[in-house]
Amino acid sequence: MSRKLKRSILFWLLLSPIVVVILFPYAVMTISSLKSATEVLNPNWWPSELRWENFPEMWQTSGIAEALANSLYVSALSTALTILVSIPAAYALSRYQFAGRDAFRQFLLVSQMLSPIVLVIGLFRLVAGAGMIDSLNVLVVIYTAFNIAFCVWMLQSYFSTIPRDLEEAAWMEGASRWRTLIAVFLPLAVPAMVVTAIFTFINAWNEFVIALTMLRTEGTYTLPIRVFSLVAGRYTVDWHYVMAAAFVASVPVAILFAWLQRYLVRGLSIGAVK
Amino acid sequence: MQRATAPYILILPSFLLAAAIILWPLKEIVSLSLHDVNRFGMLRDFIGLEHFRVLFADPDFIAATWRTLVWTAAVVLGTLIVSVPIALILNEDFYGRGFARILIMLPWAISLTMTAIVWRWALNGESGMLNSALRGLGLINTNIQWLAEASTAFPMQILIGILVSVPFTVTIFLGGLSSVPDDLYEAAATEGAGSWDQFRLITLPLLRPFINIAFVLNTIYVFNSFPIIWATTQGGPANSTDILVTYLYKVGFRIGRLGEAAAVSLIMFAILLVFTIIYVRLAMREAKA
Repeated sequence: MSRKLKRSILFWLLLSPIVVVILFPYAVMTISSLKSATEVLNPNWWPSELRWENFPEMWQTSGIAEALANSLYVSALSTALTILVSIPAAYALSRYQFAGRDAFRQFLLVSQMLSPIVLVIGLFRLVAGAGMIDSLNVLVVIYTAFNIAFCVWMLQSYFSTIPRDLEEAAWMEGASRWRTLIAVFLPLAVPAMVVTAIFTFINAWNEFVIALTMLRTEGTYTLPIRVFSLVAGRYTVDWHYVMAAAFVASVPVAILFAWLQRYLVRGLSIGAVK
Repeated sequence: MQRATAPYILILPSFLLAAAIILWPLKEIVSLSLHDVNRFGMLRDFIGLEHFRVLFADPDFIAATWRTLVWTAAVVLGTLIVSVPIALILNEDFYGRGFARILIMLPWAISLTMTAIVWRWALNGESGMLNSALRGLGLINTNIQWLAEASTAFPMQILIGILVSVPFTVTIFLGGLSSVPDDLYEAAATEGAGSWDQFRLITLPLLRPFINIAFVLNTIYVFNSFPIIWATTQGGPANSTDILVTYLYKVGFRIGRLGEAAAVSLIMFAILLVFTIIYVRLAMREAKA
């Protein structure tokens, strides 16, 4: 047996307890989503028959299609908006010295500390006062605001690793600052933008407490709220449908994430050292 | 664009947006916490610190505060202890490493709410698969009603908290480990250092800044974490698993005492601020030394 094979077996054995515990809930989710309404109440692992019909039935009755559309709308829009306002700020922080630079950085640090839940009472009061409860666009703006700090911080530390010589060379050639930015700088920063965009998207996709507070009618629910509403405050819960809904809500993002995971590790490590 | 004004124009959109969504509600919260408020949010008389006095006289609030400290300390320390060996293993070269990384990272991609809802089902007394799995392994004889009392529900919530915090933490550590040059280990090995010495003398010191970052960020996240407890027990039974965030939500939106809820928000903010200041002080002292 080669050394690498021995080592692989040892490492997998060491990892197996944590892997089992991590996978346990998702295994429960997958199996329960394929059980019949009566069998889901028996805690056996293998159902006597796999009920694939659970998925179309759940799709019809749970309103999850609408929630999926709402979640996509909110996540995509707030990601785009976050990146749009964060790039100029990160560029300013990494390329200019100006009075108030440190104050702005401290402001970002504090805003990172204040999570939505700490501010939810004030936010609710403002949004309710403006008569904008149930508006998905309000959610977009709030998510954007809470992601700015992280995005600016990540982008800024990545921007600082891009050598200035490239831009200076372009200026020497007579390109304007603006043109240099578009043609030289931003293309180099694409990897960092992709990583921050994925983070922002996942944050918005998974956000719970603001959506729970601001969305009061079923038609506006995002996925986490929709699935939670299938469980909370009900006497009978159709757990096989709940698990099917949770499956549909989780698996697409999980696959996307698995595919992009290596870039995230690399991106975060660049961001973290600074 | 003038050179002098350019940076201000560049940071303006992000500053205005973040300030409007963060400073404005903060101002609202301060004013709510100092006034008598009816349940529709109408401000009445200025009452000074009365809401704070009421809170500190409420045993549920005191209990939730202590529980929040236990919750944060247990989840953050548990996460760090579990994550270091995982990151060390995932940094080595072995068959299936890419797949192992994906498995460990998986909970990160799945919404906390979904994970918590699935756990709520898995922890169900009669139909839950955790009981059947433990019985199958011969670890228990009778079903445990996991979520029916705090003595079993809260440790389970801490466990879930650790599991969902591991991916982010491992990612930060992997970033740190990838910056450790290999020749350092080779040099140490030729000097006769064993693998424990290599870990203690090379890996751990180089990993220090990353452990610090993970500690601070996790503390902020876990302290503010709402979905795990809300989706499993909603702080119940009888408020026995409430932490400050769930207590805040109940007082504000269930009971409708907005003034007190605002006071809880400010207390949480103060705790976070003190924590951050201590951390920044320590980090600066270390940078000087």
